[in-house]
Amino acid sequence: MEKKLAVYICSGCGLGEALDIEKLSGVATKECKAAICRSHPNLCGEEGVKLIRDDIASEGVDRMVIGACSPRVMYDVFNFEGCVVERANLREQVVWAQEPGHEDTQMMAEDYLRMHAVKADRSEVPVPYQPEQEMSKDILVVGGGVSGMTAALEAAEAGYAVTLVEKEKELGGFQKYVSMKATFPYKDIQPNTVNQLIERVSKNDKIKVMTGAKVEKIEGGPCVFNVTVKQNGTTSDHHIGAVVMAAGWQPYDPTKLDPVLGYGKSPDVITNVQFEQKFQSGPIVRPSDGQPVKNAAFLQCAGQRDPDHLPYCSSVCCFTALKQAIQIKRQNADANVYVFYKELRTPGQGEDFYRKAQQEGVVFLRCQAPEVITGGSRLAVEGHDELLGEKVTVEDLDLVVLATGMVPVAAFGEDFKVKAPGEEEKKQDEMQMTPDTILVSDILNLQYRQGPEMPALRYGFPDSHYICFPYESRRTGIYAAGPVRRPMGIAASIEDGMGAAMKAIQCVELTSKGQAVHPRAGDMSYPEFFMQRCTQCKRCTEECPFGAINEDEKGNPLPQPTRCRRCSICMGSCPERIISFKNYSVGMIGDMIKSIEVPEEYDEKPRILVLACENDAYPALDMIGLRRMTYNAWVRVIQLRCLGSLNLVWIADALSKGIDGILLLGCQHGEDYQCHFIRGSELANIRLSKVKETLDRLVLESDRVRFETVSIMDWNTLPALLNEFADRLNEVGPNPYKGY
Amino acid sequence: MSNKVDPNLMKELKEFGLTDAYKCYHCGNCTAVCPLSTPENQFPRKFVRYMQLGQKEKILSSPEPWLCYYCGTCSDVCPRGAEPGETMMVARRWLTSQYDWTGFARKFYTSERFEIIAITIVAILVGIGLLIFNTGKPNWDHAHLNSVWPSDKIELADLGMAAILSFLLLSNVFRCYKFVMGDMAGRIPLRVYASQLKELIVHVLTQKRFGQCEDKMQWFVHLMIMTGYSSVFLLVVVLINGLTFENLKFQRDLPEYALWHPIRLVGYYATFAIMYGTTYAIIGRLRKSKSVYKYSHPTDWMFLILLQLTTMTGIFIHFTRLLDWPFPTYALYVIHMMVAVPMLVLEVPFAKWAHLAYRPFVLFLLKVKEQYAKEQAAVRVPSVALAD
Repeated sequence: MEKKLAVYICSGCGLGEALDIEKLSGVATKECKAAICRSHPNLCGEEGVKLIRDDIASEGVDRMVIGACSPRVMYDVFNFEGCVVERANLREQVVWAQEPGHEDTQMMAEDYLRMHAVKADRSEVPVPYQPEQEMSKDILVVGGGVSGMTAALEAAEAGYAVTLVEKEKELGGFQKYVSMKATFPYKDIQPNTVNQLIERVSKNDKIKVMTGAKVEKIEGGPCVFNVTVKQNGTTSDHHIGAVVMAAGWQPYDPTKLDPVLGYGKSPDVITNVQFEQKFQSGPIVRPSDGQPVKNAAFLQCAGQRDPDHLPYCSSVCCFTALKQAIQIKRQNADANVYVFYKELRTPGQGEDFYRKAQQEGVVFLRCQAPEVITGGSRLAVEGHDELLGEKVTVEDLDLVVLATGMVPVAAFGEDFKVKAPGEEEKKQDEMQMTPDTILVSDILNLQYRQGPEMPALRYGFPDSHYICFPYESRRTGIYAAGPVRRPMGIAASIEDGMGAAMKAIQCVELTSKGQAVHPRAGDMSYPEFFMQRCTQCKRCTEECPFGAINEDEKGNPLPQPTRCRRCSICMGSCPERIISFKNYSVGMIGDMIKSIEVPEEYDEKPRILVLACENDAYPALDMIGLRRMTYNAWVRVIQLRCLGSLNLVWIADALSKGIDGILLLGCQHGEDYQCHFIRGSELANIRLSKVKETLDRLVLESDRVRFETVSIMDWNTLPALLNEFADRLNEVGPNPYKGY
Repeated sequence: MSNKVDPNLMKELKEFGLTDAYKCYHCGNCTAVCPLSTPENQFPRKFVRYMQLGQKEKILSSPEPWLCYYCGTCSDVCPRGAEPGETMMVARRWLTSQYDWTGFARKFYTSERFEIIAITIVAILVGIGLLIFNTGKPNWDHAHLNSVWPSDKIELADLGMAAILSFLLLSNVFRCYKFVMGDMAGRIPLRVYASQLKELIVHVLTQKRFGQCEDKMQWFVHLMIMTGYSSVFLLVVVLINGLTFENLKFQRDLPEYALWHPIRLVGYYATFAIMYGTTYAIIGRLRKSKSVYKYSHPTDWMFLILLQLTTMTGIFIHFTRLLDWPFPTYALYVIHMMVAVPMLVLEVPFAKWAHLAYRPFVLFLLKVKEQYAKEQAAVRVPSVALAD
């Protein structure tokens, strides 16, 4: 079929007043070679959309540029199946952010039409990916604790077949040891109901429970996972759509604690976990001689929030201490119970639980470093009470309970990277990607090139960006839930199980239609590799933040498109530029850059190319327009899927075209990264550091290329940033390649 | 030195009416709003902490509760409903029982039954005493109290009672002094004590500190009760026999003083002031109209009821006397004494009344301590300068 390009220009929302629409139409038909160019005062209205639909039906239009509002709005209205739709952002980023009727504003609008016309011309309509293997929507849950069982039940009740793998002989996880629980509405301690949950799971015929089993191997990707489970010496294969990893936690080893806490010196010093296990059924007694407990002390943060032990707060121990304290008080109202805490953390409605313990007569002592004295006939605790401002002692204790923290099971095992063979030594001074932490913890045993388990975000917890993307992980189709993801109690675990089940369902539904999952949910394009030109450099397989690309023995990439999130970081990484998408490629963006009209030097109209991440920087630029602020008129913005898709050839393209400066706007990287694709902006920055050397060698000022991190909140500082960059470029002078 | 945590104090304080102090999480809002809290004497927050950790020694030696007049502002701002104002009230009860060596005060505060029985017994004894010990020749033609119970005899009885009361109260006050001053007792020169005396007198007369509280009504009511009570005490106890001056004698028989006579005017003022103050407080307590009236310990009620009953019977006697009705006058007098004497004998040394001694005294001691500390600092500074 022959290509037929149409350009539609909206004259509503102030576009008609600020721009010369006729002149724009001229650019569309003459320069962009559009077969049809129409303008309408309300393109997103019924009449405007009908205009487009009629052209598709009767004129055979198969690609179009819509010069109207930002692509971030009205995407559901301008959605024409089977057509390439390019959106030139003439509203937010041109007429709302520039001086109306000005010559420069008109030039900017014209450039955007040119840029998107050339992209529309080169794009193709994506065809959904269909793997060879039949796709499965079944869900595998690893771990049969509260989070895992909740996830299994939720998925099963939504109609999905579930396989639940539990390594112990029976379901229940840690809650099996627990007699009373502290959960919503946090008014009082409640009897544990884990047995009811186990019964519901066992009775659900959509859930296949495998106890005493472990996952030996997981191959493939979402909807085409091939999982091998070993149970009682026999292995079985399972075809799985998505995985919920709810493998749970282990208590911190109390023998590693500071000796001043007295662990090991007296049998009456126990941990919070041992409290549950010892007194699960039966009275709370002195461990040493079985006598009733009359005086007990709880020491919070034992080896927690401590750089020498667990640096984090396990978030449940305060609840646990309150619960156990109330249990002692229930057994004997005259018992004296003391809680030594650094900060009592009972967030949200949990405050009521703290009140409950106060009401029961529990004595609270705010104390940073309590010491357990084991020398005498009975235990004592000594510490500096900050509220009194003096040292206090609690004597005659029958029981001391230490609040040790939660360690995710994923935090055990050797570092995968350390023993990976064949790694070449890299130059020390070169900027390098921060390596992922993948520990061989024997939970999922993924057959992935980047490692057998989920990468950890911090402290061994396999999480993604916890604030922006709860329940997400860095392995597509695998969602961590419960205390393996972050320390949490029973209420949060149930919520987590539900959240992960929902994510897993979204994943199998989208993947089975050939669509991407979060954050580019619904995207049908996927990377295609022109393998003849591959040099086996392994950059794509190493840099993919989601481990989507495996490798054969020769180092050839073996892409697994259902694992792909469509960030295009691989496309930016490839020195041979052999990776491309149907509607996004190195060539397309390069052509967009080349289509920018660069005025001669004596016109004194420099040009600044802004390559902006679609997730934060681009919407921030839209915000400037929405707030009717103005920014530099020399700017031309290209929206990138992720700054990590930046290919260095674009810099060369822009500079040789005579563009004076290039600004890369990406997300914050490093420890508190905000990149939707984890690594994108970091990689772009590393790549840029390399191009700067080259620029210096070519006697092109490296100041012409700048990298800045912005979050969506930074919109108000962006105009100043752009102006400042323009000023710097003025000082540097015009690009000497202008006019070549 | 480590302070032993004693969880039993909180349990003990419950018997003195403590209800909500366990709720305190030491945010310090109470201390921030209290107009009487100073950098040297911060309360009530820290004091509540002493209670929670059972620091008896500290409570006894730092008697901040006596600095508090219970305006209720702290309880109003407390985000936890821990009632710091009421907690200080409880502390005063407990302190009173600690100062008292007889153990009566503790009984009074912890057992309502004991309180009622004790008062009843004393009342009956007074009644019987008045019936037995009299001239035996009452004047039935005119209401003539002196004909039954002559004022010089009453004065003798008053003196006896005053001696007993003073002994009890002063011995308790001495214990209070020991607790408050701790090892500073005897170290501070008398001169310092004397220098703060003026302050003590001004405070007693004007309740100046109470006036600093935000709720001026409480200060006013308290001032009314205090001045009313003191002036009537002056009239009926000290001046019962006019200290031998005929014109100062408290009028018990006709002919009555003229209306403008100071004794009569003071008497009317006292009557009005007490009735106004006690009625306001009783209505407030019944309606729980403000924080200070939210919690009423039995001793709080007893205090108001006895005071009001004494005053009312006094008013009735005044009228029957003016109307010259002998029998009602004599009968009412017996009742009047049956109320007034227990109030003085029991409430003053052992219960709420005791605060009239402890509060100004402790305030005085704290002033002395502060002054002494100031002087010591002034002495120390130059020596440090020399050392440098």
